[in-house]
Amino acid sequence: MVESSLIILAVFLAIYAFVVFLDVRKAKKRGVKYHFRQAVTAFLFLLPACVLAYFFILLPIVYSLGYGFTKFPLLRPDRIEFIGFRNFTDAFEEIASDGWLAKAIKNTAFFVVLVVPLQIILALALALFCNFKAKGNVIFKVCFFTPVVISLAVTAYLWKELLSPAESSFINSILGVFGIPPQDFLNNPDTTMTAIVLISAWQGCGYQMLIFLSGLSGIKKELYEAARLDGCNAWQRFLRVTLPGLRPVLLYIVITVFIGACRIMIQPMLMVGYQENSVTLSYYMWYQGFRGRNVGYSAAIALLMTIFIGAITLIQRKLLGGKDNDR
Amino acid sequence: MTDKNVRALIHDDNVAIVKKSRKSIYGRIIYYVFGAVLSLTFLFPIFYMIAASTKSEEVIAQHAGTIMMFIPDFGNMGHFLDNYGEVFTKYNILRHALNSLLYALIAIVLNIIINGLAAYAICKLHFPGKRFFNFIILFLIIVPVETSIIPLLTICKHILHLQNHFSVLAIVLPPAISIFNIFLFIQFFSSIPKAYEEAARMDGANTFQIFLKVILPLSKPILATVAVFVFIGVWNDYLWPTMVLTDESLYPIQAELETIGMDPDITPGQTMASLVITSIPIFIVYIAAQKYIVKGFGAGGLKI
Repeated sequence: MVESSLIILAVFLAIYAFVVFLDVRKAKKRGVKYHFRQAVTAFLFLLPACVLAYFFILLPIVYSLGYGFTKFPLLRPDRIEFIGFRNFTDAFEEIASDGWLAKAIKNTAFFVVLVVPLQIILALALALFCNFKAKGNVIFKVCFFTPVVISLAVTAYLWKELLSPAESSFINSILGVFGIPPQDFLNNPDTTMTAIVLISAWQGCGYQMLIFLSGLSGIKKELYEAARLDGCNAWQRFLRVTLPGLRPVLLYIVITVFIGACRIMIQPMLMVGYQENSVTLSYYMWYQGFRGRNVGYSAAIALLMTIFIGAITLIQRKLLGGKDNDR
Repeated sequence: MTDKNVRALIHDDNVAIVKKSRKSIYGRIIYYVFGAVLSLTFLFPIFYMIAASTKSEEVIAQHAGTIMMFIPDFGNMGHFLDNYGEVFTKYNILRHALNSLLYALIAIVLNIIINGLAAYAICKLHFPGKRFFNFIILFLIIVPVETSIIPLLTICKHILHLQNHFSVLAIVLPPAISIFNIFLFIQFFSSIPKAYEEAARMDGANTFQIFLKVILPLSKPILATVAVFVFIGVWNDYLWPTMVLTDESLYPIQAELETIGMDPDITPGQTMASLVITSIPIFIVYIAAQKYIVKGFGAGGLKI
């Protein structure tokens, strides 16, 4: 492990030395001078950030690519061995035999397909609502954004309590008013993920609302005026002016919400635990690595996830961003 | 757009609003009523949490299904004191809250100094190979890298020896580096005129003194944004501390919630009390620094 990290460091240093070489040569040609003292100061200023970034950002990225091809017990790093593609074939076998990984993929897909449109539409509606010119509607913005700043652990435990199967729990007591018997939404396999979708959308949409609002403020007022003069009604103005104006922001939001949704993990973990009806991809990956102590297999799953998410992101970019190029 | 133009625009709008007929007043009332209802539907779990934290199990059952669910019961202070007292004595939540606060403060100071220095070097100093750093920052910001938390754990185990109090290093060091914060700092520093630095250099200040005494005081808005974000990030982090800390007395408050939640004897009122205590600092920071939070998320929108 020490050797591999030194090799990675050497590669980065070599690239950097090459860039320095180019810069110095170019500076000589143009007669620009580098002051030795200033350069040393700059290096000293950059050093702490470089050390931390190397250990906590670059190495994890590089290692997460490499571990997937090894057998690596978490507690015995000295027993690491290269096993080629066995982790990946294991993963595909797990999918083919309808094992936990297949359940995790199914649950994650269900979650993503529901939460991405729901959260974005909710956020857009809230943003349009807050965009009205009215005194004091900042307070609405503050209210809608509040769930975002509360921690995932707090909301998970809070909703676990609200949804508890007891007759006196919040949701069940409301259902009781309408004469519906108590339900256990979180542990009923049919409703687990639906409940988590609604909770996630509730907690997350305030964030996208703010980004939509900054996008809305960038749309020129004259466009609305022009549309109104052309006889467009409110709905047409929304379709013809607001939506096209929001396209760059929308692309950003779709991609970030999608990536965030693929990583869903804390809510099922704290509200339901490691069950067939609640396991998600990230949760499975974490469980295999941390509880199962099988770092190699976990990294292989992470790598597959990265490739999949990267591919979908590229497709989204093409679909949503491409129309801009046509014009 | 200058400030004057903005003010003129707002003035125009106000005039337009005044000119509008009476009809719009009813529209306005409907708007506010609708907004209030929407806000309440967003906040009801939080009202419920606060209300239930003041009640005993019997009272919660009694109030179930009525509007009383959302109203704190201060009529019987006994239950309120019972719930909060139990959380403070049995689980020693104050200690864990102070742990969280300490970790967050250390991470904020480290984050500002380390990322600020790096951004200052990249933005204002002249040295060979700058392109390399610019490229890495741009790469790490644009490309969505799916870092796995497990490789980070193996590295921390290896270099930080996660034993005893050393394991705290694994809590405060990773959040001390943030490429995005370097990016924010660079954007802000590049708007500071060079004249300030030159004047300080005339007075005999060295580069580090210039950074500390000239640049940082001029960057208060961005410092506030970064500090608030690091605070929220570290305070709200749940998973990572449970993975690296072995000693429960070092647990931050979010991790302690798991211990509290696993206790079979706990009543719903006590659970809610622990959740309220965990959220209070976040609410305070959120309300006090709301302006900076909105600004920071606005900058987040530029990320792509």
